[in-house]
Amino acid sequence: MWFKYLIIILLLYFFALLQNSFFAHFNLFGAVPNLVFVFFFLLVFFEKPDKNLRVIFYAIIAGLFLDVFSCAYLGASIILLIIIGFLIKKIQSLLKEKKDKHPFVYFLSLFLILLVIYDLLMPHLDMSFGIYFFGRMIYSLLFATAGFHVCKKIVKKDNVI
Amino acid sequence: MNGLKNISINKKNNILLKGLAGAAVLFLFIFVLNFFNAQIKNSFYFLSYPVQKVFFAAGETASGYLKPVFNVGNLAKENENLKRENEKLLFQISLLQAIEKGNRALIDMSLQSQNRDFTTVMAEIYGLDGKDALSINKGSADGILEGMPVINQQGVLFGKTFEVYKNFSKVVLISNKNSVISVKVQQSAADLSALEIDGVVKGNGGLEVYLDLVPVDEQINEGDVLVTSVLEGVFPKDLLVGKITKKEKNDQKPFQQAHVEPFFSLDNTNNLFVITNYKR
Repeated sequence: MWFKYLIIILLLYFFALLQNSFFAHFNLFGAVPNLVFVFFFLLVFFEKPDKNLRVIFYAIIAGLFLDVFSCAYLGASIILLIIIGFLIKKIQSLLKEKKDKHPFVYFLSLFLILLVIYDLLMPHLDMSFGIYFFGRMIYSLLFATAGFHVCKKIVKKDNVI
Repeated sequence: MNGLKNISINKKNNILLKGLAGAAVLFLFIFVLNFFNAQIKNSFYFLSYPVQKVFFAAGETASGYLKPVFNVGNLAKENENLKRENEKLLFQISLLQAIEKGNRALIDMSLQSQNRDFTTVMAEIYGLDGKDALSINKGSADGILEGMPVINQQGVLFGKTFEVYKNFSKVVLISNKNSVISVKVQQSAADLSALEIDGVVKGNGGLEVYLDLVPVDEQINEGDVLVTSVLEGVFPKDLLVGKITKKEKNDQKPFQQAHVEPFFSLDNTNNLFVITNYKR
């Protein structure tokens, strides 16, 4: 079991490095995708409803990597991601679907709303709607969509990531 | 009945207590993290640097391969070479224009300061940290302090250092929304008798900048080059900033604005120079 968490930590670290270095050359209007947020969101979205401790664990690790590689104070992302993590689980419990546990339309709208909230609340150097902001949204959304379909296939096999 | 009610209240209280205890532990954890903020970040950068460097180089190679596909043939590389050559020429032109205006003595001083007196520390870029900020692999151990100008070898201004750790620093680019720098407009036409026009270049985010606070009665043209001025005292004079691409003039406003194409580019730029001894 611990092996799973180790892989998650390594993957989050890998995505943090990737978005800060590799994607610097593939920026869209100066923006790079927030891969750490995307991965965190996928983990929480496909996690079992009653696993609150896991949500906190994902939020602490993802938040730490986001803060370390940004100009923010350490802990800002951790707090935001914990709130976002519980929001995802709460909204998911309210929007239960019998046929499909993880509908794409919920995922996409939830992801977009919560990423906007995260980006606006993060104490960055600037916080405003601009071409950079939309570039970041679109870019992250692309990866989230791809990630959703991959996770859905895994979930179909194992019922949970 | 009362017993059941008490159990329910106790359960609620327990959950509340656990929640409060959890929150307290979390805040304590965050407090400790921030107490060692600089050390933690520096250690992370130190550990990650070799991998990030590889990823950064891989990204550069991959973008080099992909760009020609999108840009038809080898246009990207050729364009980059021409841009660099152009930057060099523009830098020379900006200096020559000033000489022609009779400020030979001052320019000599400027040349001296730019070519000889500046102590620079070469640093390698290894990351773009969103919101128009770069990561470089030199820090306070190399003599870098906050607020030092950062340029490339062609004298193109990138920005200034703003977060300095022991071995690493962050550079806020001039395109950052909080960035405002004093500039002067070098007329592209060979009108050397024209007076210098002052303005400010503001960051627009997304690696974009624009020119502002140019009096409406001043004549600026597309293609005019912007260089740093000494008014602000943060950057040395005559560093290349950008080129006017489109002006926006409204007679009802006291100042005119213009779109500016910045000279700095992340493509094929691996090394930057931090000016460590510029006196403000």
